[in-house]
Amino acid sequence: MANRLLRPHTTKSSSNTRTNAAARVLVCAVLAAALLTSAGCGQRSASATELVVTGSTTILPIAEIAGEMYHDRNPDKKILVSGLGSSAGIETVAHGSSDIGTSSRDLKPAEEELGLFDTPIAYDAIAVIVHPDNPVDALTTEQVRAIFSGEIENWSEVGGRDKDIGLVNRDEASGTREAFHKIVMGDTPFDRTAAVLPGTGQVRSVVANARGAVGYISLGFVNDEVKVVAIDGIAPTTESVIAGEYPVQRLLHFFTVGEPTGLARDYIDFVLSEAVQGTIVKDAGFTPISGRIE
Amino acid sequence: MPPTPVPPAAESRGLQLVSRSTYLKELALKNLFLVCACVAVAGVALIFAFVGLRGWPIFATVGPWSFLTGTEWNPTGAEYGILPLIYGSVVVMLGALVIGTPLAVGTAIFLSEIATPRVRSIVRPAVELLAGIPSVIYGFFGLIILRPIVANFTDGLGFGAVTAWFILAIMIVPTIAAISEDALRSIPPGIREASYAMGATTWQTIYKVLVPAAKIGIIDAIILGMGRAIGETMAVLMVVGNAPVFPESISEPIATLTTQIVMDMPYAAGDHRTALFGMAIILFLVSMGLVALVRLISRFQTAMESGR
Repeated sequence: MANRLLRPHTTKSSSNTRTNAAARVLVCAVLAAALLTSAGCGQRSASATELVVTGSTTILPIAEIAGEMYHDRNPDKKILVSGLGSSAGIETVAHGSSDIGTSSRDLKPAEEELGLFDTPIAYDAIAVIVHPDNPVDALTTEQVRAIFSGEIENWSEVGGRDKDIGLVNRDEASGTREAFHKIVMGDTPFDRTAAVLPGTGQVRSVVANARGAVGYISLGFVNDEVKVVAIDGIAPTTESVIAGEYPVQRLLHFFTVGEPTGLARDYIDFVLSEAVQGTIVKDAGFTPISGRIE
Repeated sequence: MPPTPVPPAAESRGLQLVSRSTYLKELALKNLFLVCACVAVAGVALIFAFVGLRGWPIFATVGPWSFLTGTEWNPTGAEYGILPLIYGSVVVMLGALVIGTPLAVGTAIFLSEIATPRVRSIVRPAVELLAGIPSVIYGFFGLIILRPIVANFTDGLGFGAVTAWFILAIMIVPTIAAISEDALRSIPPGIREASYAMGATTWQTIYKVLVPAAKIGIIDAIILGMGRAIGETMAVLMVVGNAPVFPESISEPIATLTTQIVMDMPYAAGDHRTALFGMAIILFLVSMGLVALVRLISRFQTAMESGR
């Protein structure tokens, strides 16, 4: 009786449930095995035809499109790109499970001992975005800090409508959050009641749909759905970023273990070439690394 | 489950009732299925051992009490208190149960007592289909459709417990409905007929006779629904807003044990990672407790029935 209750009604579906249970158990066992092996995984041997690039979701579009272009030019070489966040990028390259770790933030003190080689590939500005209907056009760095620390909770305090501010933050694995924290917040902690979203695209779509919302994303991801706020009187544009005037900007990095060699060297050279810098990097809204050197 | 009696062919080798090849085939199959069962047990044991080994140090470094009752989850500041997350899990689960249970039990009553076979043949597959929809689809639906609606009503972002409640309520309907319906159907037809014979209406029969008779089965269903709700991750992750705090209202961001594990796993290291495994231990214990509870209730009912 008791067991009958736990089973669905017909004999047919009952056998289905059992198959499902068996399948689930198998999956569990496989997962357990995978976890166990990954816990003690060894170094990736450098491959001559396959390059694994992991890390920042901000850099993902550049790395991916450049990877495809590279593959088109060298059909025997494959560039495998994935975006897990900057911290994951640094961790995987340091532990040898990827060849290049991409990061939208600088190394933390603890990470500087990992012996990683830094190749900056572009400049990126972080834009503070609000709903298009929001009348607020400009904020000072202090105001932005007060908003994101929860000190200012209503738009009327910064010259807007009487409306509660809906804070949208990124997850702690995010390089954008790390950079925003370092540049804007300093020692002030983020308001912990803010919504935490795991991706740039999500932040943008949420801010685009909520009138009181405010968030921050890479300038490269800004589109018509959201409005960019000028910081300290300067709007983020290619010119203001190259000139170094816009306050919230950072470098995008490719990290390798030691100086890059072989396929990694070749790919990084390609990313730094005009073919990528002049097109993909610019199209994505980032500022070419060559921009400031020229 | 009661032990199945061993088929005579496999046991009574001495009697030579079957040919040797048939006997060997039977023996091989018996062992094959034994291996299948062992894989299941080994899977549970391995996962428990793995999670336990990786997670227990947190109870030593942080201390079990401050780990469970600490109110600050702030890994970058080395603060590992999971009370806000436990609170989040419980709030999200309870709300989903409050909304989902009437829906599911109502569906079960409709299917077993009211619907004509024709209607039932449409409604039941539809309910079963709900169980087959991947949870990320529920999450996506919640994020794109439900969240803006909640945002409009509450004048906020729409992330929070209330959004998760509605999504989870729909997700637990198939679990609770299927088991409740089974409980209702297992009531002997005589009881139903007796009630109608006394002049009771359909509604009177349902709430005075059938639901009380199927009570234990329905409670089982709710407990299993609870397990589903507390363990659900992806759909919840996409709509709760993931702020590990005690929110001021049900429409403000909140985080649960499962969502925090997913959010933090990609970058967690050291004590932080251990703390995530510690949270997994808590979840494991909760689901073990729920299964044990169902078993206990069933045993209690069997004892009651045989005692009659």
